[in-house]
Amino acid sequence: MGMGGTTLQTLKLASIPSFSSSRFVFKPLPKTLTFLASSRHGRTQRPPFPLLARALSAAPAVQTASDETAVKPQWKAAIDFKWIRENKEAVALNIEKRNSNANLETVLQLYDKMTHLQKEVERLRGERNVVANKMKGKLEPAERQRLIEEGKNLKEGLVTLEEDLLKLTDALQQEAQCIPNMTHPDVPIGGEESSVIRKMVGSPRKFSFPVKDHLQLGKELDLLDFDAAAEVSGSKFYYLKNEAVMLEMGLINWTLSEVMKKGFTPLTTPEIVRSSVVEKCGFQPRGANTQVYSIEGSDQCLIGTAEIPVGGIHMDSIVAESLLPLKYVAFSHCFRTEAGAAGTATRGLYRVHQFSKVEMFVLCQSEESEFYHEELIKIEEDLFSSLGLHYKTLDMASVDLGAPAYRKFDVEAWMPGLERFGEISSASNCTDYQSRRLGIRYRPSEPSSTNSKKGKGSLPPPKFVHTLNATACAIPRMIVCLLENYQQEDGSVIIPEPLRPFMGGLQIIAPKSR
Amino acid sequence: MKGKLEPAERQRLIEEGKNLKEGLVTLEEDLLKLTDALQQEAQCIPNMTHPDVPIGGEESSVIRKMVGSPRKFSFPVKDHLQLGKELDLLDFDAAAEVSGSKFYYLKNEAVMLEMGLINWTLSEVMKKGFTPLTTPEIVRSSVVEKCGFQPRGANTQVYSIEGSDQCLIGTAEIPVGGIHMDSIVAESLLPLKYVAFSHCFRTEAGAAGTATRGLYRVHQFSKVEMFVLCQSEESEFYHEELIKIEEDLFSSLGLHYKTLDMASVDLGAPAYRKFDVEAWMPGLERFGEISSASNCTDYQSRRLGIRYRPSEPSSTNSKKGKGSLPPPKFVHTLNATACAIPRMIVCLLENYQQEDGSVIIPEPLRPFMGGLQIIAPKSR
Repeated sequence: MGMGGTTLQTLKLASIPSFSSSRFVFKPLPKTLTFLASSRHGRTQRPPFPLLARALSAAPAVQTASDETAVKPQWKAAIDFKWIRENKEAVALNIEKRNSNANLETVLQLYDKMTHLQKEVERLRGERNVVANKMKGKLEPAERQRLIEEGKNLKEGLVTLEEDLLKLTDALQQEAQCIPNMTHPDVPIGGEESSVIRKMVGSPRKFSFPVKDHLQLGKELDLLDFDAAAEVSGSKFYYLKNEAVMLEMGLINWTLSEVMKKGFTPLTTPEIVRSSVVEKCGFQPRGANTQVYSIEGSDQCLIGTAEIPVGGIHMDSIVAESLLPLKYVAFSHCFRTEAGAAGTATRGLYRVHQFSKVEMFVLCQSEESEFYHEELIKIEEDLFSSLGLHYKTLDMASVDLGAPAYRKFDVEAWMPGLERFGEISSASNCTDYQSRRLGIRYRPSEPSSTNSKKGKGSLPPPKFVHTLNATACAIPRMIVCLLENYQQEDGSVIIPEPLRPFMGGLQIIAPKSR
Repeated sequence: MKGKLEPAERQRLIEEGKNLKEGLVTLEEDLLKLTDALQQEAQCIPNMTHPDVPIGGEESSVIRKMVGSPRKFSFPVKDHLQLGKELDLLDFDAAAEVSGSKFYYLKNEAVMLEMGLINWTLSEVMKKGFTPLTTPEIVRSSVVEKCGFQPRGANTQVYSIEGSDQCLIGTAEIPVGGIHMDSIVAESLLPLKYVAFSHCFRTEAGAAGTATRGLYRVHQFSKVEMFVLCQSEESEFYHEELIKIEEDLFSSLGLHYKTLDMASVDLGAPAYRKFDVEAWMPGLERFGEISSASNCTDYQSRRLGIRYRPSEPSSTNSKKGKGSLPPPKFVHTLNATACAIPRMIVCLLENYQQEDGSVIIPEPLRPFMGGLQIIAPKSR
């Protein structure tokens, strides 16, 4: 979706920036423009480590313009460095096709240094233990004195090495966290224009009268007020009025009801969260062009999507395999600064700072994520078909994925007032990218056969869950679709059948006489 | 200096003009500072008080109305936190990790209960002629101040957005009050009656003590708020209308509650008169506030700059002749809680619990909850 560091985005905007419920900060920049934009792949700033990084690594540590404002990560992602090293060609290729700025060489070098340093630390600890053990026995005074000296030297050496190890680990984390998720082999390679249409449903409605856009309909039917909101709050805020309120409530309730029928557990979530949770989900709360509102005087932020608080529910825990898959459908308000999102794709309800959204979130076993990705997109398509929308489902191309997504399906619906397709939903399979950061694992039920040495009954090692997220309903864009597609010549708007029971039976929004 | 003058005369006038100008600049600066100082002090003056308002602190508030009586339980009563845990409706623990204390997730039937309460309340209040709204939840801090709140005080209830002059709203009263800021409303449009649904955010800084358990005091919650703008002579009438709407809603849900005429110390600066409703919460073993209805007369409108032009010409202006417009007057504003969802959930869970651990859904809400009649314990 629209993202932090969108200076590039504004340059290449012929089409609508993606409005996915995830990854809105993440679009990686082409390497040639790296030094122009302060944002980079997944991360808008570098940590205050340039000196240390140079001391430790031969490769240039910095590729972006501004270093000073970055914040050291307060947490560690459980990145599989061994796997990266063993698969470095595939990882490098992946970084390339996603146009990511991650520096694989630096990561591998830092990892190498770290493992060596770790061995050194262990060796010194071993020696110190030997000395300590020797000192327990009966010794000549001269010998004892010698050992005391040796012990002291070892201790000092250890302290230095341990400090270095800490800094090295932080630097390694910082670099490694930038490496994007691997990519599904079927994902088309390239930019937005390479995305492939998986499914096309319906066709543009033919109008026998001049088509109005949602802003005009909203004004004439007294449904929207952007002007008063501009005074009270600023641009891109709005009040919904009259039947638009019923439409919002109807959409939320109908969507929740439909998705609950598919076995999803309904939730409402906090909309203020700790910024570390935002980061662990793969967003950048404190970048220059961040999409994230921060709370003054606190480490808290406003959520841009319920994916964040839902992802946080099982943070730092091991989930019983029997509980998987965990399927949540969450309703929340979402807040986005939309910093850097310039251009025509900002009119009216299409791009706003605050909106209601119903989001699906799944945690599952690693082998099942592709299955649930298909299930999620099917649920979305069924919802949009039920509302009679004309839409297309896109398999998003590699450059457009955003760091956490292994694969991403976006749905764009036809908006007659805008005279083009506009993104109404996004479904991402994040595999273990988020779970490695959030620390969510599960214990497989069958004992691992390679562990037979330990005997029967030994617990298999925990694995990281796979997480997926998908927009069930982003209310403002849905309102755009419904108003523009269902408008009648007399200026009224028909309510699609499935929503009527959730709107007190209302069938039509008619012009009001004054 | 425009006329013909002797050079000496002209020079003298130039000097005089220069002195006057310097004097003026100084005086105008002083006037500005004085005006600011005056505003600062004067804004602290609270609204006048309705003559019937009891004088004193909380204990002096007078009960206007008492409805129902505490339910008698034949089994040990659980509080909403225990019910929430056993019925898998609430999660405070995960929210404490993700967000901090006093945050929560609602799960399962509690989500349906929240949606049902919002939709039912909106529907009921709309039937009374109120225009439904959803509002921005981020507003400029100046609007917060104009409504009578203090965004930047030491123990402020208001969350501020970093790097901006914006805040999160603690009640929809603020963005709704702002709709007609700095304008003159046609008298024929009054009364303007709004019912607004929003999320509300409160720091609850300084709120210590036992009245903070579970859903009773939280940082974020859903609320349906009524807001009225009317002519000055009509505010007392609408105050009575608002409290009646609230009482009808709470009676429909079968709650046991009392309506209090709040005493002078408890009014808060903007309110001329304030009625609070407290409902019986068996788990807390006491009454807890579930709503508040304030008549702010012209306190907020003088700050928000909302006026109306009365339709009859003022008889004292006859000097200007027929057809002259009467001077605009400040509207009166009122606000009243139609439904504060978390405390309503506390009431419903605690009052409608059954011996087997289930909770009955009050009848009026069922059509808004897909027909759900009872929240039953789930087998695992």
